[in-house]
Amino acid sequence: MSNLTSEQMIKNKLGSDDNLNQSRRTFLKVASVTSGGLMIGIGFGATAAPKTNGEVFNPNAFIHLHENGDTTIYCGRCEMGQGISTALPAAVADEMEADWARVTVKQGEGNKDKYGPQATGGSASIRVMYVPMREAGAAAKLMLVAAAAKVWKLAPEQCFAKNHVVYNTVNKQTLGYGELASLASNSEVPQKPQLKNKEEFRYIGKAIKRHDQNAVIVGKRTYGVDTKIPGMKYAGIVHCPVLGGKLKSLDKTEALAMPGVSDVIEIPRMNVPFGSVGGVAVVADNTWTAQQAVKKLKVEWDHGPNQVYNTKEYKQQLVQNVEKPAQLVTERGDLDAAFASAKDRVKATYTGGHLAHAPMEPNASVVSVTDDSCEVWASTQSPEDIQKVLAQYLERDPKDILVHVMMAGGAFGRKFKCDYVQEAAAISKAIGAPVQLTWSRPEDMRTGYYHSISAQHIEASLDDSGNVSGWLHRAAFPSIASLFDPSLDRAPGSSLASIDNHPFNVANFRSETGEAKAHTRIGWYRAVYAIFYGFAFSSFADELAHKAGKDSLEFLNTLYDANKDPKQAEQVSRSKAVLNLAAEKSGYGKQLPKGEGIGLAVHFSFESYVAMAVHVKVDGDNIKVLNVDCAIDCGQVLNVDGATAQMEGAVVMGMCLSLYTEITFKDGAVVNGNFNDYPVLRINEMPNVDVHIVDSNIKPTGLGEPGVSPFAPALCNAIFAATGKRYRDLPIKPLSI
Amino acid sequence: MKNTITINDVQYPIDVPDDMPLLWFLRDKLELTGTKYGCGEGLCGACTVHVNGFATRACITPISAIAGSNVTTIEGLSEQGDHPLQKAWLEHNVPQCGYCQAGQIMSAASLLKTNPNPTDDDIVLGMQGNICRCGTFQRIKKAIKSASYDLAKEVS
Repeated sequence: MSNLTSEQMIKNKLGSDDNLNQSRRTFLKVASVTSGGLMIGIGFGATAAPKTNGEVFNPNAFIHLHENGDTTIYCGRCEMGQGISTALPAAVADEMEADWARVTVKQGEGNKDKYGPQATGGSASIRVMYVPMREAGAAAKLMLVAAAAKVWKLAPEQCFAKNHVVYNTVNKQTLGYGELASLASNSEVPQKPQLKNKEEFRYIGKAIKRHDQNAVIVGKRTYGVDTKIPGMKYAGIVHCPVLGGKLKSLDKTEALAMPGVSDVIEIPRMNVPFGSVGGVAVVADNTWTAQQAVKKLKVEWDHGPNQVYNTKEYKQQLVQNVEKPAQLVTERGDLDAAFASAKDRVKATYTGGHLAHAPMEPNASVVSVTDDSCEVWASTQSPEDIQKVLAQYLERDPKDILVHVMMAGGAFGRKFKCDYVQEAAAISKAIGAPVQLTWSRPEDMRTGYYHSISAQHIEASLDDSGNVSGWLHRAAFPSIASLFDPSLDRAPGSSLASIDNHPFNVANFRSETGEAKAHTRIGWYRAVYAIFYGFAFSSFADELAHKAGKDSLEFLNTLYDANKDPKQAEQVSRSKAVLNLAAEKSGYGKQLPKGEGIGLAVHFSFESYVAMAVHVKVDGDNIKVLNVDCAIDCGQVLNVDGATAQMEGAVVMGMCLSLYTEITFKDGAVVNGNFNDYPVLRINEMPNVDVHIVDSNIKPTGLGEPGVSPFAPALCNAIFAATGKRYRDLPIKPLSI
Repeated sequence: MKNTITINDVQYPIDVPDDMPLLWFLRDKLELTGTKYGCGEGLCGACTVHVNGFATRACITPISAIAGSNVTTIEGLSEQGDHPLQKAWLEHNVPQCGYCQAGQIMSAASLLKTNPNPTDDDIVLGMQGNICRCGTFQRIKKAIKSASYDLAKEVS
């Protein structure tokens, strides 16, 4: 697999809207009705077309309107707290003119032919599913109106639907949705139905209550780790601490002697990107006993070649690799000439460490493997990857792997991978019983798919008028592509695409990728590369403004205005708008007490624009974030309250990675093990966060991730404004472990 | 009773190893899964329950050490999910993934029991042991404030 292809594959897997529009077709269909009422499904892709062997296409339904009017809406995308299982069904309900109070949301099982692409990542769910889900709702409404018109012997145009009722404009009669359900199911499903205008929205763009909060507050929302099935055993695991290592020796005597312990299972590495790194599992009659017995195992590992990995030295190596010429990615103009004739040159190197996702729910799943079935209950972001990996492992057809998609107790990219599910399958297969495997917190922290450690070097020239005449950006980081192609010795050029999409359209520009061989598994972490690209770019822009003797906001506005590339016009105007909105709301420019400062940053990622103004108070080593103003333009927002929550959460995650979180490797193994040595933000440091959403009716874009990246640079710019001290290495307050 | 424990007003025999933490007795023995495993070392607060009325980390509390005690979990905090904090949590749309929220609510309930009218500093101090990775802290603060106002109204 070529480098470019692997990255493209990832993008396709996430389901870009282009991909859907061009190579797939979607269509609406009435599903067979077994329990009465109206069911409407959306078919995706070639496999959803009627089968040639005469089997009738039978999609599961996005919508099931029951004869009593109760309405069930299925969400095919995975829920991990981002609120997608409220936002998308609410969009269906809106177009359907369904009463949200009558709607029950259900999570669809793993089946991409029924529900469309389910792999949930890349802030893509709404981008991909917004229109198809609305179309399903709009089609249902038209069918209900047509059914009512038939009853009244009127034209559909003489009737209209509103809030679960169809009204008759001629004699003012009404029919409820439930009464019309079965009749409506006999009619053709309109394809490409007319969608509402923004003014007509009932739920979209409003603050919608989450469908599942009532269950959460009484402890009844069940996550993957909460699954209980009859006959289920419990397992714990210890993994090989170094990627590519092997089991050297195992003494399981003491573990097996513990009351309640039934088995010790060796799990060899499954050498596919989302497979187990290899470990030893203990099976017992409860999780506690399994975890205690794991500690009684006497395991020796052959650590293999990656035991050379020490992140402290590796970070320094990356710095060296970006402070010398590296492999060219993109070049335009004549950078050397621009640098030679410059009035001023500014250069800086920015670094950051590995991050572990550390969702509150550690990796867990229940798997039941029998001779003729495989059933999975898992907190997951990608049921189709579970199907693919387990099919390969068990040598079965992906369709024979039934995946119940459970609510994830946080995920942030980690649960896109299914190594923990494959391990549970291995255990279940070995013991011939269903098993729940729960990773302990230390195993979760030490067996990750980490956010890349990185170094970036930016060098720019200012001409006589103070304009930016040249820009060099070198990046070195072990990339996600290395997970798919371990032979890579550096990030492929495609991973630098957002560097190349330079918002100032500097005439003389060069990007380069420096050597950075991976020694661990690298994965998507909420906001991914935007974390370090945003940090380097917005920090450097601030440094440049300072060097040019200009105010940061004024400097950025000037540079944006100087970009006349029509292809970047939208990017420039929307970036500028959120930047100025955040600055204005924060009171940027006002006189502040000594030791306080406001820093700005803006970043374009996942097709959305986010700017932050961070207000800090610095007293010695004590950095207190007082206030954060966050402005976002992500097109039409589905759930205003959900969007606000996502931004608040992004600030917290941005603060964690700016100040504290860093995974340290020593001799190839992760040193951190729990929240004592991987400290995340707590309530005492929570600043006031004000979220400002740009009102828009253009197509919705990413929301879950784009809020993370502007925080770190805005914070560092604020600290600089307050104290004159510049931080270029994240986290700012690393724990020395 | 030495070998029993009362959980949400129901008495259960302690028929597990003495050193098993309360968390696993709740989750794997009684299948009361509202109380969550987060860290196993008393660092994150996801497992917070009340033992004889006080917030306690269930993951580091051996069951034998609290024999005869009264334990309240999130499932038993109120009859109808209508504790002022539960109502405030809904009003402020606090949860994102929700995994830590049982622990958050139980810690907050313990705080309000001893201090029905907490200042911002009291809230921060009382809730510092509970981690939320989704970042719901701002809403937690607001929800505790509004629950405390509601409690004050009920009392007056």
